[in-house]
Amino acid sequence: MIVLAIDTSTDAVSVAINNSKQLLASAHVTSDRRHAELLTPMIKSVSQQADIAMFEIDVVAVDIGPGLFTGMRVGIASAKTIAQVLDIPIIGISSLDILARSVVATQRVVLATIDARRGELYWAMYRNDLGPSIEVKPPVVGKVSDCVADLVDRGQSALIVGNGAQRHQNAMSESLEATGLSIEWASEQLAQPSANVLAIIAAELALHEQWQTCVEVQALYLRAPDAEINWQTRVNS
Amino acid sequence: MSSTISDLTIDSSTVVLGIETSCDETAASLVIGGNDVLSSVVASQLEIHARFGGVVPEIASRAHLEAITPVISQAVEKSGLSFDRVDAVAATVGPGLIGALLVGVAAAKSVALVLDVPFVGVNHLEAHLYAAMLDDPNVEFPLLVLLVSGGNTLLVEVREHGVYKIVGQTRDDAAGEAFDKVARFLDLGYPGGPAIDALAKTGDAAAIDFPRAMLNDGLDVSFSGLKTAVINHVRKYPESKTKDIAASFQAAVVDVLVAKTLRAAENLGARTVAIGGGVAANSYLRSEISVACARKDFRVVLPSLTMCTDNAAMIASAGWHRLRLTGATALDAGAYPNLGLTVAQK
Ligand SMILES: [Zn+2]
Repeated sequence: MIVLAIDTSTDAVSVAINNSKQLLASAHVTSDRRHAELLTPMIKSVSQQADIAMFEIDVVAVDIGPGLFTGMRVGIASAKTIAQVLDIPIIGISSLDILARSVVATQRVVLATIDARRGELYWAMYRNDLGPSIEVKPPVVGKVSDCVADLVDRGQSALIVGNGAQRHQNAMSESLEATGLSIEWASEQLAQPSANVLAIIAAELALHEQWQTCVEVQALYLRAPDAEINWQTRVNS
Repeated sequence: MSSTISDLTIDSSTVVLGIETSCDETAASLVIGGNDVLSSVVASQLEIHARFGGVVPEIASRAHLEAITPVISQAVEKSGLSFDRVDAVAATVGPGLIGALLVGVAAAKSVALVLDVPFVGVNHLEAHLYAAMLDDPNVEFPLLVLLVSGGNTLLVEVREHGVYKIVGQTRDDAAGEAFDKVARFLDLGYPGGPAIDALAKTGDAAAIDFPRAMLNDGLDVSFSGLKTAVINHVRKYPESKTKDIAASFQAAVVDVLVAKTLRAAENLGARTVAIGGGVAANSYLRSEISVACARKDFRVVLPSLTMCTDNAAMIASAGWHRLRLTGATALDAGAYPNLGLTVAQK
């Protein structure tokens, strides 16, 4: 089973191809918002490196967010269209799931975070103690202080991963110190979700045919468009 | 099987898949030989944006991502062909909303990658020029095109395929923008063009003498003064009938557009005049420009209403010509929200 994995939900563009046993080739470039320019040539070069023709791909995996809206959409539109033309299934995985899976097995609760800008984070919590990570707190968007409060509520030692918490590490450390919770920070190298990890998750799901069609897969925004938020406020007031 | 990029010749059997996502329509189309439209599918977002009184970029981008796959599927299905008959893929790369454009560009490049066929980036404005020619393939150059939409008001000299000169444009609001703003002020809803067009039919176009700015002065136009005049008139004469205001406003816009278009055609020595863009669907503009052209013995090309508004057949057609003129676009192309018509393309 050949899996093509695409991740463009942060300011990195990441592409990987695995054959469900091992990684065949991958590339990871920090893009500074050049997702659209970089992605298609990267898919081409990674498939060449893996010595895989496009028609040999069996399933496409894509990071569906949350993250940078425009970046996510470039990856999702590309993945959907590749699956559509090849007539193959697609597997959409959240950026937070990918982050959680990228850290080692631990007894701690894993707090996965993605930068949501405007001083906010996307976050979710996972149990990573035996094999695949299990979501214990579904993804939300909110203020850094809300994320900290969420963690304090849980009252468990934690491993924190992702570019969201990393950006606000000082503020979070400070408020968490007072609580006495034992906090571990994952390596900076894991700050962005990686297509290598996405390809591994997808290969496992593909074994059980846990996939979608190219029409079904949807972006996970978590945050409504500003105009929508303003409209709701106006209607409700 | 499709030809590979290196040995593709562009001719009357070449099938181009066109994709358009620059504003609020998600569209895909298959066109053979540059002008034979096999399918043209347009998913409009008009209703999604109506309550905001204009296109909201983030909402547009989300809707494009949801619509892009089914729209491409329908275009392929309705063409009676399959993906492996597609010889090249064209997508709008600008001008337009960046987040919206990128959805179409990413999809188009992906089709090109998987099928191993050329990708060609298309200028949306150039595509509008080809929309006029799609409905009338016997158009002769030189040609003068009036391109009027919500975002543009341009007078374009077309000397031959791919050779354009903008000889007139708006100094402030685009014609379609003026319609939208006046319609909003008159509480006629969004989009303003069709609303004013319909109401004006019942009103008196001579009721109010709104200013025709710069009527005898060069080829540029200006509509912001007209908008202000409408607002001032309503404040001063609140009893005036909305239908008369709509008709008089529309007449002021159309008079200026028609006069400038005819003057530009005379300057160029063109015998043919074409109109394009969303405002080219305006019934008063269509009849007035036809009358004026007949008087001067000019041939006038009035595209069908579906070819005036955004669609992907015009993208596929422009892409076919672009491939002949300048070849394929590299797969590392992005989107160019402020792309101009006369900017040299790769
Ligand atoms: Zn347009």
